[in-house]
Amino acid sequence: MSRSQAETPKTGLAHAVACVLVAVTSVLLCFGALVTTFDAAMAVPDWPGTYGHNMFLFPWAEWFYGPWDLFLEHGHRLLGALVGMISLVLAAVVWRTHQSPAVRGLAAAAVLLVLVQGVLGGARVLLDDKTVAKVHACTGPLFFAVAVAIATLTRRSSSSQSATSSAAVRSAGGLALATYVQLVAGAQLRHLDASVDPATFRWLVAFHLAGAAAVAALAVAAVLCTRSCGQPIARRWSLAILLLVGCQLALGVGAWVVNWGLPSGWLPASWAFSDPLLARSVWGATVVTGHVVLGMMILGASVVLSIATGVLRSAVKSTVRPQQADRLRERAFA
Amino acid sequence: MNRFSRIAFLLAAGCLLSAGCGKTPNASYRLNMVEATKQRLTTEQEQQVATVLLAMFGTPDDPVALPEFGLDEAKLRLASGPVRSDIVGRKNGLYREHCAHCHGVTGDGMGPTAAFLNPYPRDYRPGVFKFKSTERADKPTHADLLRILRNGIAGTSMPSFALLSEPQIDALAEYVKYLSIRGETELSLMRAFFELDDDAQGKLPETREFLVDETAGPIAEKWKSAAAAQIPVPDMPADIDLVASIAKGRELFYGDKANCVKCHGVTGLGDGQANDYDDWNKAIVEINKEIQGGLAKAGETSTSGMSSEDAAEHRKQVAWLGKFSHVVDGDALTPRTIPPRNLRLGVYRGGRRPLDLYYRIHAGINGAPMPAAKGTVPPEDIWHIVNYIRSLPYEFDGELGADRPMVARDRF
Repeated sequence: MSRSQAETPKTGLAHAVACVLVAVTSVLLCFGALVTTFDAAMAVPDWPGTYGHNMFLFPWAEWFYGPWDLFLEHGHRLLGALVGMISLVLAAVVWRTHQSPAVRGLAAAAVLLVLVQGVLGGARVLLDDKTVAKVHACTGPLFFAVAVAIATLTRRSSSSQSATSSAAVRSAGGLALATYVQLVAGAQLRHLDASVDPATFRWLVAFHLAGAAAVAALAVAAVLCTRSCGQPIARRWSLAILLLVGCQLALGVGAWVVNWGLPSGWLPASWAFSDPLLARSVWGATVVTGHVVLGMMILGASVVLSIATGVLRSAVKSTVRPQQADRLRERAFA
Repeated sequence: MNRFSRIAFLLAAGCLLSAGCGKTPNASYRLNMVEATKQRLTTEQEQQVATVLLAMFGTPDDPVALPEFGLDEAKLRLASGPVRSDIVGRKNGLYREHCAHCHGVTGDGMGPTAAFLNPYPRDYRPGVFKFKSTERADKPTHADLLRILRNGIAGTSMPSFALLSEPQIDALAEYVKYLSIRGETELSLMRAFFELDDDAQGKLPETREFLVDETAGPIAEKWKSAAAAQIPVPDMPADIDLVASIAKGRELFYGDKANCVKCHGVTGLGDGQANDYDDWNKAIVEINKEIQGGLAKAGETSTSGMSSEDAAEHRKQVAWLGKFSHVVDGDALTPRTIPPRNLRLGVYRGGRRPLDLYYRIHAGINGAPMPAAKGTVPPEDIWHIVNYIRSLPYEFDGELGADRPMVARDRF
């Protein structure tokens, strides 16, 4: 019996729980992005309760059939709590299945981050503060990246992956980092205080555009670097990321257009829309929210690519601990 | 520290840095520093204006409206303050949610996004509004504001808020009036220092007579009387021959009386005189000219032959010019010219109804170079111009090199 086969049940459980965590977190992020799009963060004025009820005992019909803002905000809280519980289960499974120190560290980080994120969400409501909202929006993708990393590292086949070229590692790691920085810049734009002066906003937009160019360049670099690296999975992920980045650029332009229209005065007058924009339209909200969610997905995919190219290679290599190998030897070969 | 730890550290640092330097401060109204500097107000005088405004109008989170203003405080409360909603979905803070990012918390047209928008968002403080059904110098009616909010402004970044409920749109219109009255009162107070007697010792009288009856009251009164100032519009003759009307309108368009061709160009593409500014930008252009002229003159003037008093005055003037230049850089957007409208696109900012075009031609556009035809062109002839303008997007025009009638969008 090979080593990897012997580890399948335990590693598989951790991987399955991590995948559930990634899936539920994705939905949570969609709700979070919608909360910001619809300015619904203050739809529930108290925390940790909801309008005086225990959060879990708030009448579901009042939530589900209630106002849209309440549906988003309370739904975001319920999903947050669910993600917290899954994170705890994942940490327990990771510990019980003797995963590598890196995976256990990431599981611990996930628990810590989800707790911090919950408290930040509460503070955002209780203080009604945009600064806290910005930090909350930056921690969300960080948690998502950690969850994706755990799911990738606990995948059975990841232990057989070898490192690719250092250029591939650098481009993939840089892409993940640049994508996260983009999400941070995006959070500053989305949670912008109306008192901010135009010069600051201009600077933020310029930074976000430069970041978009950097992410696009790194995505192209990742495709080129993984082209002949002998890791088909890395190649596939890099191509998928490039496609996502292309869609993301289009959504970025769309997010501007649905908010402020075509930049008339900069483009020929004949390009002007003959009808005014429609504020708070479903189409507009979908484009803007889609831009945020796709950014998170690119981050998640970049984390997978980073691991596939060899970032955290040491963590993958030591997925099976020596003591575990000894026990296995005694059990299987004695 | 290995690579993984370094990346984690960088991410955490970035996350913390993104938080900025502390809690977001409560929203506050910005003082009109361009006017304050122009009027050479001292710090104490600026503080007095700010205090008076606070007493009369409250804060963005807690607005106050004196009974003389004729504003509905319940509507103001719905529109003001931070964004929040209750268990039945009633939303407060509508202005902060929908308007402040472009128009600014103060309504000064200096919201965060303003620099990117073309045209710039409206600065409510001078109390000048473009698209309305009243005479050029009058305030818009409440219905005019509602129409703009509901329909948006085509060809600009001002969206339609048709998806908001009627009470929400109504509350926003009321809040725009409140900000405009507040801004105009601020301007009046700052200008009033110039007319003070020596006895006043550089301080405005803090009496109800001066502050309400003489300053804010007359401004609010103009808003209250706007509905009565609506332009009377004669009906378009029912038996009008449209072809003949368009031909007559064309004649007027190119004629000396209406002289639309001067700015909108012989082709109607808006390629006539295009180097003018609207009132908001013109004010900044003139201030910049004053500063540049003053600095150039100061540079040529030598203080060597001056008396000590004159030299001190000269230095004071140079310091003021420097301060003014700095204030204008920070508190005003770079002026832009206003191109005349391209009438062949079929995009009409003030509304596409014939009635809207009638108002624009009759009263002109307040704050813009578009003059009023009232008094020059009889009302029935204005209808002919309206008909001609409405035909322009579909008019065959050999001068453009077309050999067949084309809709505007095919031309470009």
